Amino acid sequence: MAIDRRRPKPSRRSHFVIRETLLLLFLLLICAPSPSSSSSSSSSSMHNNNWAVLVCTSRFWFNYRHMANTLSLYRTVKRLGIPDERIILMLADDMACNARNTYPAQVFNNENHQLNLYGDNVEVDYRGYEVTVENFLRVLTGRHDSAVPRSKRLLSDEGSHILLYMTGHGGDEFLKFQDSEELQSHDLADVVKQMKEKNRFKELLIMVDTCQAATLFSQLNSPGVLAIGSSMKGENSYSHHLDSDIGVSVVDRFTFYTLTFFEKLNMYSNASLNSLFASYNPTLLMSTAYYRTDLYERPLNEDRSCSSYEWLKVLQDRLADEKSDTIVMYGLGTMILLLTVSTWLST
Amino acid sequence: MASLRPLSRGPFLLLLIFFVFSLSLLRPIQGNGGSDGGGGGEEFSEELLLKPLPDRKVLAHFHFRSAAPPSAANGRHHHLFPKAIAQLVQKFQIRELELSFTQGRWNYERWGGSDPISTRNAKPPGVELWALFDLPTEEIDPTWKNLTHALSGLFCASINFLESPTAYSSPYWGFLSNNGNLRYGALPREAVCTENLTPWLKILPCRDKAGIASLLYRPSIYKGYYHSQRLRLLSSESKGIILEQTLTVVLQPNSYTSSLLSSSDAQLQPSWSLSQLFKKEMTGKCVLAKSSKIFLELERGLLEKIVEIRDDSWSNSFFDLFPSPDREIKELENSNGQVGSSLYEYKVDNSNENKPLDVGITWKLPLVWSSVHAPFQASRFLMGSGNERGSIAISLQSTQTHDQYFGDLNDCTVPVIVLQVVPWYVKVYYHTLQISIDGKPQTLSDVIEKIQVTPSEDKLLPGTLEIMLRFPCSMLSATLSLDFDKGFLHIDEYPPDANQGFDIPSALVTFPNIYSSRSYPDYDVSDDSSLLHNLQEKYLVRSYTEVLLVPLTTPDFSMPYNVITFTCTVLALYFGSLLNVLRRRIGEEERLLAKKDSARPGLVPLLFSRLSSKLKGRKLLLKVVFVALVAVVWHYFLNSS
Repeated sequence: MAIDRRRPKPSRRSHFVIRETLLLLFLLLICAPSPSSSSSSSSSSMHNNNWAVLVCTSRFWFNYRHMANTLSLYRTVKRLGIPDERIILMLADDMACNARNTYPAQVFNNENHQLNLYGDNVEVDYRGYEVTVENFLRVLTGRHDSAVPRSKRLLSDEGSHILLYMTGHGGDEFLKFQDSEELQSHDLADVVKQMKEKNRFKELLIMVDTCQAATLFSQLNSPGVLAIGSSMKGENSYSHHLDSDIGVSVVDRFTFYTLTFFEKLNMYSNASLNSLFASYNPTLLMSTAYYRTDLYERPLNEDRSCSSYEWLKVLQDRLADEKSDTIVMYGLGTMILLLTVSTWLST
Repeated sequence: MASLRPLSRGPFLLLLIFFVFSLSLLRPIQGNGGSDGGGGGEEFSEELLLKPLPDRKVLAHFHFRSAAPPSAANGRHHHLFPKAIAQLVQKFQIRELELSFTQGRWNYERWGGSDPISTRNAKPPGVELWALFDLPTEEIDPTWKNLTHALSGLFCASINFLESPTAYSSPYWGFLSNNGNLRYGALPREAVCTENLTPWLKILPCRDKAGIASLLYRPSIYKGYYHSQRLRLLSSESKGIILEQTLTVVLQPNSYTSSLLSSSDAQLQPSWSLSQLFKKEMTGKCVLAKSSKIFLELERGLLEKIVEIRDDSWSNSFFDLFPSPDREIKELENSNGQVGSSLYEYKVDNSNENKPLDVGITWKLPLVWSSVHAPFQASRFLMGSGNERGSIAISLQSTQTHDQYFGDLNDCTVPVIVLQVVPWYVKVYYHTLQISIDGKPQTLSDVIEKIQVTPSEDKLLPGTLEIMLRFPCSMLSATLSLDFDKGFLHIDEYPPDANQGFDIPSALVTFPNIYSSRSYPDYDVSDDSSLLHNLQEKYLVRSYTEVLLVPLTTPDFSMPYNVITFTCTVLALYFGSLLNVLRRRIGEEERLLAKKDSARPGLVPLLFSRLSSKLKGRKLLLKVVFVALVAVVWHYFLNSS
């Protein structure tokens, strides 16, 4: 009986070998895209510079927190290595030297007043009445009057990663600029499309901290764009806390928790965007942080070399945010693999 | 052997050449520390002037001067002079330029109106820019536009709003005498904050890391009552480019000892020092500076009150200066025999980190004095109410300092030049100019010596008034008034905070015969202090008036939506009712029914007519039924028989 069963074994063994090699090849194919993705995602360009465009669109003293949001991001971005020449900072009003500020030349984002966001070395490119929808669109598309100086231009190229951060008051498919005009989601989508046509960015990360921020991204359809909004349609974004000394709220919740994440990093850390998303807690934010990754081609765990440890990490990250049936699929796949290997080994 | 000799000589020669070459390279590097020859004779000097003010405040005046010698070549290496400024001068062919960022109002009554510091550093709030160009007239306007953009990028301010012709003017003689190549513009509402100071400091060779600029603690500066940073450029073929940067701050020292003496009229002045004002001490000069000095000035009014003057007048029963100054520089006494001001000099070279320099004054007895004033105090205000019209009034009040300026009061007249630039939406009627002296209206030809008006054009040009008046020296007050109408702006031209109002930039009042200058006989050229040199330069006494805030009619910016809704409703109602009236006929149906009712037949003829109509209509059916009946009857009968 045993001998009878063993006779067709050689063919079955070769069959198993074939199947196993096929599985191995399949696994290799999973790993293979990650090294190649480090060189290019949408085009054959290399990432060689970083830019940041930080916009605060609100005016008046009671919108102090929007200025503090933008300045906190400015400080973070400078600390993590982007120099002033590659940051375009647009502030719609002057809070630090405002007559109502009891701490002149100082802007705080926390009531403990530990950190002066204004510091000694701040350069604002667009100030006051210059922060308009027209100037904002001109900065992004690069269509300026010939007299506009270089420090006010976004001189990015096809290898640039750009961070675009906007904060202020917004609503369903719009963002308010200085209480007198609006930027609509169509405008934003159009501008991003123009930027892509002119190869002005390789990857673009848009972060928006306003009420109903996610609706601003509804019309985006250019590749290489990642968008994070602080709240979904119908939800408001709230401020974090009130500073009784200054008399107004000093920071918004979404920006506060984003900063908490970034404060743990330094220039040499290798965090991934997934960990940023994972750090948002809807209960604390009092809104649902929304992120749109469908236009983003690379996996969100940044580029890694394909060691086995990394492959497990890939799997782990993929599992962290996907649904249960895909988990079951992966489980079954590994089970089958293990079964074939064990049967082959037992023969 | 023969082969070895060239070999041994070759490397030796090479070594010798290398040695000589390296020596020649090293020599310029050693020479760069000072000002001799390295980089072509560029020099930099820094100075700080401190002065106690009569109203318990302190004036701190930082003065930085950079000079680049003339050079024939287009591109040259700079080692001290900022390249950005040199490129600016060369690209826009600037002969003279002054750009000031100011926040606060210079209090002429309390802080002085005719000493060199106030006449040069009291600037209007916001941004003021004027420039003299070395270009033909038709090229100046586009160059001015490019200049404003370049400066806005360089200094992080919205100076580019001065580009349009509605924002700048070209005064003929009211500001400076020129031949058409002067452009002057001011933005009264521009905010001034750290972002304007950051690039201003980056132009200095030592930035804010060493030397006097390291004292600039930002919260202290922006907490002051007045702060003004100024940049002045002078360029000529013979002297090269001279760049002067000054920062004038009026601070209130926090002193708890000031409440000791409670007498109401003479409270003790607060004692202050550098470390208290700026939270830092001088720990050494900027090594690239040719000279680095701190001066403490005690003005004439203060020194006159000190009755006892001993040898070291910096230490007496009223106050003590600490540390002891290196030198005292006295101003020449004026013609009346009054004692002049004094400058006490401290050299920063002697200080380092272990021995920091902390200059200050300790007050021991209360003292009240007053500063030197200009002959007239200029102020400006609005008259009238409502959103349609108003008046601007400039008033000149005498400061009772006749003996200082005028000899014999009976025969003398004092000339005064007034320059005022008004935006186009404040439409001034120059024919309504009225001048009154001591409350009595005057005929204009008596008082006006020269007048030049550039009337405003809607949306194109601002209105410029340059007027030279001659007043009697004994006059107490004079008022000029002008009527204006308020214009309408297009909805796009309103700023986002339109309900705050619109600004009319400061007017400038100049006294052409009166100079603010001092002479220091102790000073000689070898001292090489550009601040002292400036104090001795003849400069006209001038003062700026206040900025006026004019409320204009603003539309309700939410109205477009409301208008569309209301209009559509009205149109719908109108057209709906119109069509109804034209097309609908009321009562037509009832009339038809009434006609039918009047002709009504009996029951049987009705039934009969109904039947017959039915039958008539169905002939075929009747025939078929008839034939079927016949067939049935025939069949029945046939079958039955």
